[in-house]
Amino acid sequence: MKTSEFIVRRILLLIPVMVGVTVFTFMIAQIIPSNPAAILCGERCGLVDPVTGKTMLELQIERLGLDKPVTEQFVIYLENLLAGDWGESTSYNRPTSEVVRDAAPVTLEMTLFALLIAYPVGITLGILSAVKQDQTFDHISRFLAISFVSLPIFWLAMMLQLYLGTGTDVGGICDSIFGTEGGCLPIYGRHDAALTYPDRTSALCDTAISGIACYPSWYPSGGSGFHLFDSWFVTDEALASIHPDYASNSLLFNDTLSHLILPSLTLGIASAGSLLRYMRASLLEVMNEDYVRTARAKGLRESRVIIVHACRNALIPILTILGFSIGGAIGGAVLTESIFAFYGMGNVAVDAIINLDYSVLMGVTLITAVIFLLSNLIVDILYGVVDPRVRLE
Amino acid sequence: MTIQSPEPNDTDVASGDEPLITIRNARKWFPIKGGMFSPVKAHVRAVDGVDMEIQRGETVGIVGESGCGKTTLGRLVMGLIPMTEGTITFDGDDIRDINPKELRRRLQIVFQDPGGSMNPRMSVRSIVGEPLIVNGLADGAELTRKVAELLSVVGLKPNHMNRFPHEFSGGQKQRIALARALSLDPDFILLDEPTSALDVSVQAQVLNLLDSIQKERGLTFIFITHSLNVVNHISDRVGVMYLGKIVEISETDELFANPAHPYTHALLSAIPQPSLDAEKTERIVLSGDVPSPANPPSGCSFHTRCPIAVKGKCDVDEPQLESLSEGHQVACHFPVEFGGSLPIHTE
Amino acid sequence: MTWQDGEEERAESRRRLSERLYQTRFDLARTWKIYRRSLLALIGLFMVVSVCTIAIFAPVIAVEHPGRDIQDTRDVWTIDYEPQRKEPFSEECDMREQKVSLTELRRWDENGTLALSPTRIAEDSSFYQETLVVTEYRDLVDRQGYPLPLELLYLDPSNHSFFWISDELMENNSINQITITYMFDNEEMHHWWLPDGYDVCIFGTNEEGQDMFSKILYGSQVSLKIGFTVATLTVIIGTIIGSISGYFGGRVDEVIMRITDIFFAVPGLILALAFVAALQAVDDFTLPLWFALLVPIGLLAVFVRSHIDETLLPKSIASDSPSDSSYAFVRTILLFGTIFVFLVLGPWEYVFEIGESRTWRLAATILALCFIGFILVVDRHFIDMIPTKGIGTRAKDALDWRNPYRYLTFRTIIIFIAAATVFSWSGNDEGSITVIENFDRLWKIQIALVFTGWPGYARLIRGQVLYVKEMTFVEAARSVGAPSGRIMFRHILPNAWAPLLVAFTLDIGGTILSASGLSFIGLGAEPGAAEWGKLVSDGRAFFPMDKWLVFYPGMAILVTTLGFNLLGDGLRDVVDPKNRR
Repeated sequence: MKTSEFIVRRILLLIPVMVGVTVFTFMIAQIIPSNPAAILCGERCGLVDPVTGKTMLELQIERLGLDKPVTEQFVIYLENLLAGDWGESTSYNRPTSEVVRDAAPVTLEMTLFALLIAYPVGITLGILSAVKQDQTFDHISRFLAISFVSLPIFWLAMMLQLYLGTGTDVGGICDSIFGTEGGCLPIYGRHDAALTYPDRTSALCDTAISGIACYPSWYPSGGSGFHLFDSWFVTDEALASIHPDYASNSLLFNDTLSHLILPSLTLGIASAGSLLRYMRASLLEVMNEDYVRTARAKGLRESRVIIVHACRNALIPILTILGFSIGGAIGGAVLTESIFAFYGMGNVAVDAIINLDYSVLMGVTLITAVIFLLSNLIVDILYGVVDPRVRLE
Repeated sequence: MTIQSPEPNDTDVASGDEPLITIRNARKWFPIKGGMFSPVKAHVRAVDGVDMEIQRGETVGIVGESGCGKTTLGRLVMGLIPMTEGTITFDGDDIRDINPKELRRRLQIVFQDPGGSMNPRMSVRSIVGEPLIVNGLADGAELTRKVAELLSVVGLKPNHMNRFPHEFSGGQKQRIALARALSLDPDFILLDEPTSALDVSVQAQVLNLLDSIQKERGLTFIFITHSLNVVNHISDRVGVMYLGKIVEISETDELFANPAHPYTHALLSAIPQPSLDAEKTERIVLSGDVPSPANPPSGCSFHTRCPIAVKGKCDVDEPQLESLSEGHQVACHFPVEFGGSLPIHTE
Repeated sequence: MTWQDGEEERAESRRRLSERLYQTRFDLARTWKIYRRSLLALIGLFMVVSVCTIAIFAPVIAVEHPGRDIQDTRDVWTIDYEPQRKEPFSEECDMREQKVSLTELRRWDENGTLALSPTRIAEDSSFYQETLVVTEYRDLVDRQGYPLPLELLYLDPSNHSFFWISDELMENNSINQITITYMFDNEEMHHWWLPDGYDVCIFGTNEEGQDMFSKILYGSQVSLKIGFTVATLTVIIGTIIGSISGYFGGRVDEVIMRITDIFFAVPGLILALAFVAALQAVDDFTLPLWFALLVPIGLLAVFVRSHIDETLLPKSIASDSPSDSSYAFVRTILLFGTIFVFLVLGPWEYVFEIGESRTWRLAATILALCFIGFILVVDRHFIDMIPTKGIGTRAKDALDWRNPYRYLTFRTIIIFIAAATVFSWSGNDEGSITVIENFDRLWKIQIALVFTGWPGYARLIRGQVLYVKEMTFVEAARSVGAPSGRIMFRHILPNAWAPLLVAFTLDIGGTILSASGLSFIGLGAEPGAAEWGKLVSDGRAFFPMDKWLVFYPGMAILVTTLGFNLLGDGLRDVVDPKNRR
């Protein structure tokens, strides 16, 4: 099977799953006890439109198509979805697609950065653990790995905030070790509070309805939403308008980075735990293979046997976990975001549930599914490239 | 659906010369799927047109390399897998028309791997008694009695029945498997390489046991194996299979004395000869691998490895089974003459 | 027929039971032999056993009851006097500030006052206070909080619960109210299992003066309950769906696997969030009567059918098993269709309308049984052409009470339970069955977690079934004519459950984590409830200053989850075929 055919086939396989997810989210939205039309017209629901002679509520219902049969509503929803219209958020008074578009990069940035921390740590410890099998180091790192996956993520986040983000008076350890003042890392927000300014056009800033603290982007407009990326490429004019204290890219970048470390570390620790276990198991399995024994018999140095012969092959199955760990990290992000005040998809989803804003809830569910499926697709393709045996199946 | 007469008496029906099992042009092609969107790509021709007759009370050995379809043929006879083409009749009835439970009762099977063919979580009593239970023939104390009886028939102690399979040796396990096969008092038992997982010393014991039970109960056996020694020991007749086809079938003694097909020659020459003064036979080493059953060669399927293949004949025409002498059939364009040796050019 | 006639059968039955026990003991001994090799696994086992013990004995170990119902703890626990937000092991846990109104004392012309406990609620819901034994008199302030000289008050030397107020204070009309701060011997909050001196608030107290230690102890009950309930329900649902998928394969398998794909595409927590939202308006979990009865009636039908096949039909007549017959499927549909119609429209509804009378319910159940039996016999007679002659004597044999093999079978027990269920449910005059009466938020997250969790099990068990299905002993069973049900329950599942056990153990830990996460977000337990995630979330308001409010509940989650994960990891080693022998 050619690589291109393999890729096309994988993409085609995604379509039914995506349709399934859409049906699924639509069904859940149908059960949610909420009347979006009533929320949208608010106090004016009872007013009668002089032209048509209908009340505002009736007009809203008509506009949203809620009077149509469910199947028809679904077809309309699907058509709108494909046309880029994801419905209207009742709590943000903005199109859902915009809300999701603003929230998704926040979560993604955090997740990717978390995996960037988790993979090197998990794999290195996994290799060491496997090499020192059944020695003290192995026992300790296995125990740590299991502890990492058992940690309640929200609690871990708060403990990290306490120990790394506060001064000695509260209980932080940074001050005595590094000589910092009030902890070494900022404990919430995506950037310095000085950079925050009210931006009515920004994502999640309709406090009147949602009750969410207005926490807009420091980046005026046009950014990708990935602040680490944006702050690196921000222009001088844009910088000048943000804050006089931040004169150069690097200051902004450092600020963004320092805000990203704690949330990502929180997410990364849990992933590192499971990675360690997978890497250990995978390497131990490979070490029993004949080709590793052959390599040893050839008289190669043990380090070379492990690095060149064993690890390479042991890493291939680890690749498959990448896709799943992205999914897991997004799930964990729901909790992490609420603690670090990151207005990403997790927070948006929770708010959507509290406000019964089903359009946003569907949007978030869909976009997480898309992200998960796409990352798995990429992993699959990579896997096919790295391990030619897969394509034959 | 037919109504079977209650408790058909085997010995009464057993009279007459008609064979117990007749296989006519049996084929079993397994489809190879091309994936989710493409339909069936090709077929593995595991059994590709077999004709055979098995008389009552005889033991027919089927030999061949692994992958030649001998196990699939056995499953077809048992009715465990549906046939692609052809007919198999048992006692005059097409096995597809026989009530499945009735069929299971009269045809039994002993598997190659004695350990694997027993549920590790069941006691010997449940294993041997299972056919009786599922057919509603015995239960409770009656079952225990019958199982004890069966165990003593195969040379085990009745108090073994409370043990579990992992407590037995390979030979003992195979005896238990045999007891299970005998429990329904069948007419026919398919022995699918019952001894190949056993030590040679144990093999002999099991073979002798099989022999004595067959004589005692008038059973019919098909004995599938890849070991010619075993076949020589137990079979009345032997069929040689290659790539889903029977290439030669004959009385055992006749086959060993006068092999006609080059493949049979090759197999026989591979048997180590223990005696010193035995005639030094030229060892025929077949070149190449067995061709893929998904894409069998044209003409005679053996021509790719045959030392005496003739171009233009063997790779074009497919030879049919033809009688060479009484009860000796071979599918070859150039069968080796009586007592002759294979005219090959040694490399 | 006498009892003695069945002695042989009963002895055999006893023998088989001991055989089964021997096998179980052997399995357990071997498991333990492998399990104890790993220190981590032993630690995990110890942790799990400890947490479970603590959960069971929480009312004994804790100092106060968290309230009658976990949901209204706030009412019982809101006590003004208790030391609020005090650190673990701080002395101040024993300290009380008591307000004394001097005007009232003057009115009654008394100059003594009692140290009193906060208002408590007695068993009969009346309020009461207890006198406290003062150990140390600390501080005295007036209404505005200005300190007064301590000498203005003194403890009665013979009665340490009684303060004497000096005349100077009594006559000073500018001071109307004073607040006394004193330490007391806290019998109410003393742990009986601790020596004197280590009195209260091991983990500190929260903003309402509640003992965190006790709350966390009670929290273990909630968490373990959620863990076990969710994991058990998920395993059951996952096993049923997964084994159907694996055993039947083909199109059924394809559809089920595509559905699990959809579930896997959305991160579990987000899916659970959405589902909790969808359940928001549901107050109780009810099913229409006819729908609820489908399951027991279906079981009755299946098992009565096999019962009839095995006992009522002449032994020599072999009937084909359902999977082998080409139109068995159509027949099954017809059969269940008839039962369904019977349930929804037929005399069923009419009978139940008559009322709750036990006689009627019994009659209805027997009617249902007879109906099922009747259509099954008719079905066998006309379609399989099996003679019904002599069915009476065989039925008499089938009901032989002396033979344990007639009534001690799985099948008979299922028939009995199903019939009893039908009997007890049928008296329901509302036309619906309440499955979960108090469908509170905890139930909602449990249902949401079950809903998101089953696909994992379904895939796991499907893989196992596919693996075991290919083993020779399954083919051997099939070759002697064992029916699908027997192959599934006797051969495949007993050999496929081992990885399931591991997943189950790990899942209890995972569920506790997820549930506490959902509570933390505010979707789980009610405010004030003794649920660990909720405790952490409640403590957040005072974080990071009062860190113990967050630290200890989180530790409790960590320890419990870690225990189950270590246990599961140890079991994985046991189950691993490489470690057999």
